[in-house]
This record gives sequence, C-alpha cells and structure tokens, in this order.
Amino acid sequence: MEKQLILPGALAATTPRRMDGCYVDDGKTFVSVVSLKAGDKIIPLKGHYVPRIGDYIIGIISEERFSGYEVDINAPFPSTISARDIRETFQVGDVVSAKVRMVDEVHTAQLVEPRKLFAGRLIEIESVKVPRVIGRNGSMLALIKEYTGSDVFVGKNGRIYVKNGDIALSVMALLKISSEAHTSGLTDRIKELLEVESKKSPQNHVAPRPAVQERPPAGMY
Amino acid sequence: MAEEETAAMAPGKAPKKLIENGIRNDGRKPEDLRNLKITVGVLKKAAGSALIEWGKNRIMAGVYGPREVFPKHNMNPNKAIINCRYAMVPFSSLEEHGRFGPNRRAIEIGKVGKHVFENAILTEQFPKTMIDINIDVLQSDGGTRVAGIVAAALALVDAGIPMRDIPCGVSVGKVDGTLVADLDKTEDNLGQSDMPVIFSPRTWDILLLQMDGMLTKKEVMDGIDLARIATQRVHEMQVAALEAKYGAAAAGDDDSQDESAA
Repeated sequence: MEKQLILPGALAATTPRRMDGCYVDDGKTFVSVVSLKAGDKIIPLKGHYVPRIGDYIIGIISEERFSGYEVDINAPFPSTISARDIRETFQVGDVVSAKVRMVDEVHTAQLVEPRKLFAGRLIEIESVKVPRVIGRNGSMLALIKEYTGSDVFVGKNGRIYVKNGDIALSVMALLKISSEAHTSGLTDRIKELLEVESKKSPQNHVAPRPAVQERPPAGMY
Repeated sequence: MAEEETAAMAPGKAPKKLIENGIRNDGRKPEDLRNLKITVGVLKKAAGSALIEWGKNRIMAGVYGPREVFPKHNMNPNKAIINCRYAMVPFSSLEEHGRFGPNRRAIEIGKVGKHVFENAILTEQFPKTMIDINIDVLQSDGGTRVAGIVAAALALVDAGIPMRDIPCGVSVGKVDGTLVADLDKTEDNLGQSDMPVIFSPRTWDILLLQMDGMLTKKEVMDGIDLARIATQRVHEMQVAALEAKYGAAAAGDDDSQDESAA
C-alpha cells in the first residue's frame, strides 16, 4: 500500500478517532507527530514510550528505597517496583525485565514480576520502532533468532536484551532494522545481511556502536 | 523588532532611501522574503534540532525532553512545562551583543516563545515533565525572533513531541511608508514599524503578535494579511525541511511487515 509522510497538523480522519500520535479537534482527527499514512492507518515515526498496563519492558534500577525500587524505563515518567511484591533484592544499575501492572493518571508505572538479566547485551532503540523489530506475527524476530541462535528479548519501551549465540550479529541486524525502519524491502535486506554475515566466524563481526551507551548490568558474576 | 538602536549604526552607512521605485535596498519587492534554508537534525545529542539560514541570519534550535522537572517546585501535575531560552551569542552581530548572558530583550523573547509553544504542544500528554527549547542566534540580521521560533518548531517536531501544528511566521513592517514582509536589520532599524507574527498554519490562529513603532489600525490588518501570505511560503520551506529528513521512510511501498502485538 502507498505510504505517505504526514506532519503535525495534517488531517488524519474526518471523524474523531483515537489513534497513536493523533489528536481530535472540532470533530476531526489530526496528526501530532511525524507519521506515515497508509490508507486509514497512521504509523508514528517518532514518539516517547508511555507505559501501558500489561507491557513487558526492560528497566534499569535507578534508586533504592525502603518501599522498593525506582526504575528507569526509558520513558519521561518515573516507575517503581514495590518491595512488597518481590523477595529478591536488586542493586542500583541492575537490568531487569518486568511487567507493567498499573499506570496512574500521571503515567507513573508500577512494575511486577521483575527478573534480573545477566551478561548479554542491552541496546536501546526508539520505542515506535519496536513493532518493526518484531515484525508481523514475530517474523522479523524469528528470522534473527534463526540465523544467530541468540535469545532476543524486546521490551515495549525500546530496550532490547540479547543473550547467547552470535550476539554481535544480532545487534548488527537489530540496529539496521532500527535505522531503516519503514523502508521497503527491509525484511529481504535483513535476511541477506544475516545470510552473508552468519557464514563468517563470529569473531569477524564488527559490532556496530549501539545508539546509546551500553550500561553493563551491575552485580554480574 | 528594533534589534539594535539606530544610533548604533555606523554614520553614513545607512542608505538615503530604503525603498526606491518599489524595490527595496537588497533588490526585493515589498512582499518578497529573503533566501531561506532550513536543516533538521543537526545536533546529535539533542532530542531534536534545526538550523535555519534566513538571509544573513543563522539560528540553531535544540530541544531536550520531555524530562524530569528541575527545579522540582516548577512541576505541574497536569501538563508539561515549557522552558524556552533565546540567546544571541557574543559574536552574533557587530554591536551591542558583545556580552554573554541573558539581557532584558532575550528574556522577553524567551517568554513570548514559551507562550507560542505552550499553545502548540500537547502538554497535557506529559504531566510532571518539562521540555527545554534552546534558540541560539549565531549570526543576526533582523527578524531573529520569528526565525528562531520557526526553527524551534521544527526541532520540536524532530524531537517527536506531539504538537497541534507547526508554528510558523514572519515579520512585517512599514518602511518608507510601505508595508513590507521579512525586514532585514537595516529596515528594522531605520523603518517606521516592525511587527513579528507567528501563526498556527492549520487554523491561521495567531500565536504571537508584537509591534514596535506605529501603525494605523488598517495597516495592522493589512500587515497581518501580508504576513499570512508570506508565512505560507515559510511553511512550505518547513515542510520541505522535514521531508528532506523523513521523506525516505515514505519512499518505499509497504513492506507488509509491521504492527503486531509484542
């Protein structure tokens, strides 16, 4: 389907509709961020992660309190893990995967089921590109896992944790998806990259610099 | 905007007449704009940025946030707060701005810029956060407040901050008794009046309207009409700048590969 770039203030629909990256004014829907329009669908190209109930995210413990932990979840809002919900303890800097249990009216998230992530690599991409990394029915992710043998955990907040297998190749593919998201023939190009690179020995993969400075998980054995 | 006082001009440097036979000093017709070029995404570390080259003006805008509010007592639990900082760097013009730091004029422009963006950004989507907008004038030649706001608007779009519209505008004024658009420094200093206008181009609501000097009521109304026409051309340049950065994504047809639940 033909995709078209639309900019803030452009008409998205003549009826009021609730969509990501849109707002309603005078009974009509307008775009609020740079987006692609494909038929009726609006695909935002930019945006900030706003936690929603049920999201699986990757957070970094940023502060320890008597009542629990404060977690950096790559969002403009703070979030917490309550000490009541957990038995284990964390240190500041630990990387955890967690589920969003509750979000209040100022978007402060309460996280549950935290699992500490060891070793591996953590990369950060824009959260609006997460659906692209996963692909329809997880096809893109399956492709990466197939060729690299890595375990890849994609948080809804744009943080991706890669463990085992050919980590450097996985990271290379993930960052390529992130930088070329929404261009045509991306799946084929990723497949080609994986095909070519996976024949080389893993030591020869030049892992590209991640978009964001890596923070090694503290308390690693 | 009377950016600099007339007295600061070098004596004898000013031309005798600013408009001759309907042609302005620099060869423009009254409604013409100076050359305009905007580049989006020039700073690596900022969430969003833009560089505007408008005549001899060179203005950089950078946006940070939404992020945690500091100082904390400024926090608003209902919406994001906007900090807008305008500054002319010490080497931005020959006179007057030789000292670093905010002055009365810079504080005023920061304040009016803040009000423009408070009316454009969907601040209620980011409660308890703040958005920092920095406008730095590297080289000035009149009309820097509108140019700075035009650039900052694109920096905000580049940062992915949700906005109702992309604010856009131009300054108009009266020079030698004629209404003109996009005054340069000489016209600004020696003309009779100067009126910067910022619109929301979707609805043509006015987000900023200031005036230096004197205009009759009719001249103000005509000036706003003139500004509206000139703003359409500025807005075309804003759109072109954003398409230059984001157009590649739209170029491809659908890859039939997105939007599935994580």
